[in-house]
Amino acid sequence: MVTDAGFLPRADLDRLIGLLREGGRTVIGPTLDDGALVYAEIGSADDLPTGWTDDAAPGRYRLVRDGSERTFGLGPPPQGLKRYTFPSRAPLAVAERTADGAVSFTAAIPDPPRLAFLGVRPCEVAAMLVQDRVLAGGPFVDEDYRARRQASLVVAVACTRSGSTCFCASMGTGPEVTAGHDLAMTELDDGFVVSAGSRAGEQLLARLALPAITPDQHAAATAAVAGARAAQGRQVVTTGLRDRLMDQLDHPRWAEVAERCLACANCTMVCPTCFCTSTTLDSDLDGAATRMERRWDSCFTGDFARVAGGNFRPRRQDRYRQWLTHKFATWVDQFDSFGCVGCGRCITWCPVGIDVREELAAIAPPYEELPMAAPVVAGSTSAYSTAVVRSVAPETADTSTLALVPSDDALLAARPGQFVMVEQPGFPALPISVSRVADGALWLTIRAAGPATTAAIALRPGAQLGLRGPLGRGWDIQRAVGRDVVIVAGGIGLAPVRPIIDTVLRDREKFRHVILAYGARTPADRLYVSEMADWADRGMVVTEIVDRAGPDWLGRVGVVTHLLDQRDWHDRPATAFVVGPERMMEATVATLAERGVPRERIFVSLERHMQCGIGLCGHCQMGPFFVCRDGPCFAMSELGDLFGREGI
Amino acid sequence: MNEHDFVAELGATWFGAGLSLHARARLGECARLLTHPANAVLLREGDDTPFFGILTRGRVALRMRVPERGPVTILTVEPGDVVGWSALVPPHRATSTAVTIEPSTLIEFEPKRLRELLEHDLALSATLYPRLLEAIGRRLSATRQQLLDLYTQQAEPVPW
Repeated sequence: MVTDAGFLPRADLDRLIGLLREGGRTVIGPTLDDGALVYAEIGSADDLPTGWTDDAAPGRYRLVRDGSERTFGLGPPPQGLKRYTFPSRAPLAVAERTADGAVSFTAAIPDPPRLAFLGVRPCEVAAMLVQDRVLAGGPFVDEDYRARRQASLVVAVACTRSGSTCFCASMGTGPEVTAGHDLAMTELDDGFVVSAGSRAGEQLLARLALPAITPDQHAAATAAVAGARAAQGRQVVTTGLRDRLMDQLDHPRWAEVAERCLACANCTMVCPTCFCTSTTLDSDLDGAATRMERRWDSCFTGDFARVAGGNFRPRRQDRYRQWLTHKFATWVDQFDSFGCVGCGRCITWCPVGIDVREELAAIAPPYEELPMAAPVVAGSTSAYSTAVVRSVAPETADTSTLALVPSDDALLAARPGQFVMVEQPGFPALPISVSRVADGALWLTIRAAGPATTAAIALRPGAQLGLRGPLGRGWDIQRAVGRDVVIVAGGIGLAPVRPIIDTVLRDREKFRHVILAYGARTPADRLYVSEMADWADRGMVVTEIVDRAGPDWLGRVGVVTHLLDQRDWHDRPATAFVVGPERMMEATVATLAERGVPRERIFVSLERHMQCGIGLCGHCQMGPFFVCRDGPCFAMSELGDLFGREGI
Repeated sequence: MNEHDFVAELGATWFGAGLSLHARARLGECARLLTHPANAVLLREGDDTPFFGILTRGRVALRMRVPERGPVTILTVEPGDVVGWSALVPPHRATSTAVTIEPSTLIEFEPKRLRELLEHDLALSATLYPRLLEAIGRRLSATRQQLLDLYTQQAEPVPW
């Protein structure tokens, strides 16, 4: 609030420091030591590092003299304020045993110093709030931490410059100061815009008796912080991050990053939110007194997960995954916030420059980058819009692909695996999986099975029909990122997986080996034959097999599972998508599972169960699912025993 | 064929990988490695089966002739799988015609000699026959699936 803020001229900074020091309070602020910024006691503004900034990059940190008059031009120091609020060593208790065998325990009584933290970066303040939740917000409280926090004042400084490793804007913790402070300052050339964030802060502000800031000063402060935000951009997309990360527990990147990671634990030592500790016992030789001490520990150390039952996280890749998934996923479950505040220390101080932003983007890329299971479009069974047939291309003797130009653009947002209802007056509506979205048209591949489908493929360019959709839950292609992709289709089942092929080949580098195993009745019954060479050229292994063939066919004859005979995914994480007649899908799922693809990542489409398209007519119900609404694409782990069971 | 090469060659196939080292070494006594050009007829349906073989390279079609339809390919044998299992099962007559559809290399076993070996070396029989049954079982299972004609249209009329 402009009206609440005052302006502290640079020359008056010592007045503030003097107020903070009243009553014996020690002021801790940024100082220069050993070529780095270090929080230490300051006696006056002269102790602050005026005219310096830093050059931080992955695995790199240098102080740079910038010649300015700025006092708080440096980013977060290597060691945060955690060393004052949650020191690396703290006494817990003393256990004593007397000569007659009596045992007693005396808990340590916290005796925190009264501190005022000056020049605290927004990410640092946010980190204290995170630790407040962890250490003092649950049923068990770390008394030493709570006492230290209660005995401290926080004077924060908004950031008007972002370092190359900063990503507070992504994590929602900066560059402005929003909560957790007693006073907040924004540095301008000639002084500071100061506002209060607590009762203690209001009292300090009142005693400073500052002149109200001018509109120009307000504008300058706002613009400076906005500039710092703009310089960062959005580096970590947090939307859905928890789920994205937890979906990737067996991503191959964990092993790759473990090759680079030294397991030195630097990242956890510099992290302002890491709270893991071990209790050490320091006993007299005669065992009369044992001092119990809480010490920082790190989930990166080899023995951190050694508990009574053994070491359950022995591999480095497990430990890196534990750290990253805790910060960005399971922390959310435990404490309702991320365990990362975007200060960038773990990037700067990693000796090999592992950048958490890069790892997150590689392991759990944002959903927005790939078509995902789209939300179900609400609508009634009568909400058709008109579409015009642009072309009809015969695929086989009884199957054609219609390219339809819808009057409602929403249909063009169909995701892979979704379907539409096709209505021709006088015929029952047809649920048809979308086989491609391209050039402003929706492509539907339809086989003449009865009067309605026969009429549909007999349409000519220019003809009109009704469409409703897109409907249903599509393929979870996100689950295939970074893995081998196995697409198995039988007969006309190639149509609903073609959008997966289009997607994967468009973003080919996001996936590892990609294989299509396609089974058809005879060579003449194969779909999309003219596209297969192009698919192969673009990096997909295309394999085909037919049930029967004449002597002209030089390809394979047999069942589609034979195409998987030479494959093994036990050591190669893979995701499979399977569509075809039920018996074919059952045999394929069994083969894939035998060959190492977990059921959570075998997806099937139950498109043959669909009826009205929105799960209201009841025809499509299968156990707890309405296939039209909850499917048609399911992971095998979701279907469980329902898959392949007769009469459900 | 050099015994060491043979054991390695056989071990690299799906069929041979499931056999014991002893079995592979014994089998070497009656084996030869042969490469056939495309369109070579390896077995003729109804004739005595001239060898039991394991395909290592190429592709072999198993065909049956149907009057007025000509030869129909029932199955293609891919590398690793067997050709001529009937050489080991009475009456030792081929159940289909096997034709190479591309240049193909097979490990071929002389049937009489192999049957004698199996008769006298029970350890060999005990590892070879289960593997052979597994191979034939896979074929049977595949044939049943093909018999279901899964990709064809439903027979009953549908309104769609």
